[in-house]
Amino acid sequence: MNKIKLLTCVTFVCLMTTSAIADGHGNHVYGPFPVTLKGYSGDKTNSVSYSGQVGRQLLHNSLKKALSKDASLETLQSYFNGSDGNLPILDPVSSDKFIVDHTNVNDISKTNLSGKAYKGEMAGWPGGMTGKEVLASMIAHGADAPGGYDEKHGYDYAQLVSKFMMGGVFYHQACDNYLDEKLEAGNKPNNKPYKDGAYYTGKEHSWDEAFGYWGAAAHGATLTPKQNYNVAKKKDMVAADANSDGVVNLKSEMNYAHAYYASAFDKGGKTKYYKTITQAFIDGRQVIADANGDALSETERNTIMGKARVICSNWERVIAEAVFKYAGSVYGDLEKLKSGGDAKTYRGYVKHWGELKGFALSLHTSNQNLGELGQKIDGLIKFGPVVGGVTPSQITMNTQRVSGVDDAGNYTFQEASVDEYMLYMLRLQKLMEDEFGVVAKNKDKLAGISNLAEKLGSGESVEND
Amino acid sequence: MPEFIELIFSDLSAQFLSPRKRLFVGYLACAFGIAVLWICVAKRTSLKTSLAMVFAPAVWLSRSSLFDFLCFLINRVLFTFLRPVFLTQITVATLVYQLLHLQVLLPIGALAHVDYWIAASVFTLFYFLFDDFSRFGTHYLMHRIPTLWEFHKFHHSAETLTPLTVTRTHPVEGMIFILRTAIVQGVTIAIFVCLFGNKVDLLTIYGVGVFSLMFHSLGSNLRHSHVALHYPEAIERIFISPAQHQLHHSNDPRHFDRNFGVVLAVWDHLVGSFHPSTHEKISFGLGPVDAGYTKSVWSMYWLPFASLFRRLAVLISRTPKIFERQR
Repeated sequence: MNKIKLLTCVTFVCLMTTSAIADGHGNHVYGPFPVTLKGYSGDKTNSVSYSGQVGRQLLHNSLKKALSKDASLETLQSYFNGSDGNLPILDPVSSDKFIVDHTNVNDISKTNLSGKAYKGEMAGWPGGMTGKEVLASMIAHGADAPGGYDEKHGYDYAQLVSKFMMGGVFYHQACDNYLDEKLEAGNKPNNKPYKDGAYYTGKEHSWDEAFGYWGAAAHGATLTPKQNYNVAKKKDMVAADANSDGVVNLKSEMNYAHAYYASAFDKGGKTKYYKTITQAFIDGRQVIADANGDALSETERNTIMGKARVICSNWERVIAEAVFKYAGSVYGDLEKLKSGGDAKTYRGYVKHWGELKGFALSLHTSNQNLGELGQKIDGLIKFGPVVGGVTPSQITMNTQRVSGVDDAGNYTFQEASVDEYMLYMLRLQKLMEDEFGVVAKNKDKLAGISNLAEKLGSGESVEND
Repeated sequence: MPEFIELIFSDLSAQFLSPRKRLFVGYLACAFGIAVLWICVAKRTSLKTSLAMVFAPAVWLSRSSLFDFLCFLINRVLFTFLRPVFLTQITVATLVYQLLHLQVLLPIGALAHVDYWIAASVFTLFYFLFDDFSRFGTHYLMHRIPTLWEFHKFHHSAETLTPLTVTRTHPVEGMIFILRTAIVQGVTIAIFVCLFGNKVDLLTIYGVGVFSLMFHSLGSNLRHSHVALHYPEAIERIFISPAQHQLHHSNDPRHFDRNFGVVLAVWDHLVGSFHPSTHEKISFGLGPVDAGYTKSVWSMYWLPFASLFRRLAVLISRTPKIFERQR
């Protein structure tokens, strides 16, 4: 009898182990991972560290909030450039239902956004500036506009800055730096500390920094898309508080930036961006931890580069999904405005356009040169939304859009057509589908066509009547 | 099982198990039921006699029916692989919908406020009429343009008619039909989505368009059969009866190029090709002149091309003479 029990137990353990191996994802939480650095004699036991990135996530959240709350240029710049003084976290802040563990950015990390912003030229924004200059310019213009809202030109600077910053800093740093050149064999090797005095290796910290930019909670892969979405929205304290200590740890228990958008798309059930990307980060980090402080072998490096490709291709698709969604929103807003929409509709239109433009600019900031595709995207969205020439919200009269900047730095206008712009939004959606393979397709303006085509079918088409 | 085999089996089974297909077992059962009842009443026969007439082995096991079956299998395999490269209704609709943004006659969303049921009813009726007209028009051209007729002979070479004859279609003709469907559906969808927005819908029962369901449930499969179901004369002037379509398949020159319509007879009135059904005995097929078409399945597929090449050769041989005359 005992033999049977023993056999049953062994079989059960074997089955569980086999299933875990087959699943390939034994661990679903990012960290803790042991300290593997050779010769380290300190008391640290967890080598995971990305507080600088969390600091930037909080600077970004706070900057967006400050832009919409009429903050001074000085305040806005302190969030963009960093400051030695007090930098209160404006988002997320504690409420009765959602308590966070910090109120000041510098308590988490004394850092900045401007130093990490994309330095390549941005052809999609007027003025021929680099990504960093575009952000600085947007912030300066936003400081002059009430609530960051420029009705005349159709710019919502809080949205423009926020959505472009997510790409121009976070996505760019992760996919054009930490998961790209820093994965090269001679760059930040795993058998040396990341920098002098560090307790983590070069590859460990490179990987951690990229994860911090992604913005997922360390336990996010164990949650459902809806839970992750509600964590980002500060609506689900239970799901956020992984260690049940009664507060949300902003370093490891919060969802930010593109990770939040990924969960929003995944909620629809057609995609698994959040889990795919977060799990690839976890698996890649495990490979690095398993190297136990030795330089990564070619096989190990190939494995983590494979994970990096999964991360960056899916991350890019998340941004493309956002472009697709907001192209649909802009199209829908124009439909309403054409049939006599009010100022509120126009405000929503400008907000959606800002989101669209910010995400679209972000697509340019990875290590991939989009080339002709990038030109197509910029060519469809243009420098500004179509606005009314007499009253901005009256888009049926003398319509125009921003075409560039003059020598004095003022925006110039050119004539524009609403119907043509609506067509561009449709083409943009098609472009996102064809070139980036978007699947969630929120606000699909051609969905009616697909649905009807599906209902009509073509079953009898090769039959003689 | 290899993927392509699975694909073919899935396509074949769908032909008989999906209510969206003409050969759905439910529609076949309806057709047989109507046929048996019709013979019992019209010819005043017993049920047994009626059943024997409907399922006459001379028809179902004929050489022509065997060819129908082989052509059905060959075409299913062929089109299973070819379909992905064909123009789709979504492509046409997307293109037309985009073009509609550049005109002012049909303003985008002009009828977006219209009630769902009205929008869906208008769409369903318009599609039915446009689709039926386009089928008539294509069929008319298949007969009237000599090169197309060479390919359409494939269908008319059937000397006995069974529901499977509907699939007796030359692949070139099949491609033309696919193009027709893509254009008709694409244009209709684009115009209606443009005017009514995403609320426009097709009225369906069990996932099948209402007009399509009615047409097939009321015995559309008898059009290709030896059961000459007639409608009253007044009805036949509006709707094509199975007997009228059988007359279209007659090898008697008096009946050539008559009754091109599918559901509605009104289109035939427009071009003067309408012909009421007749009670005289009808023989099907192409007749002795084109006997070569029924020699073998291979000849059915090949002869239209051979004829096309001959026409081209004649055309090329005449070309220098044209130039000579011009000089």
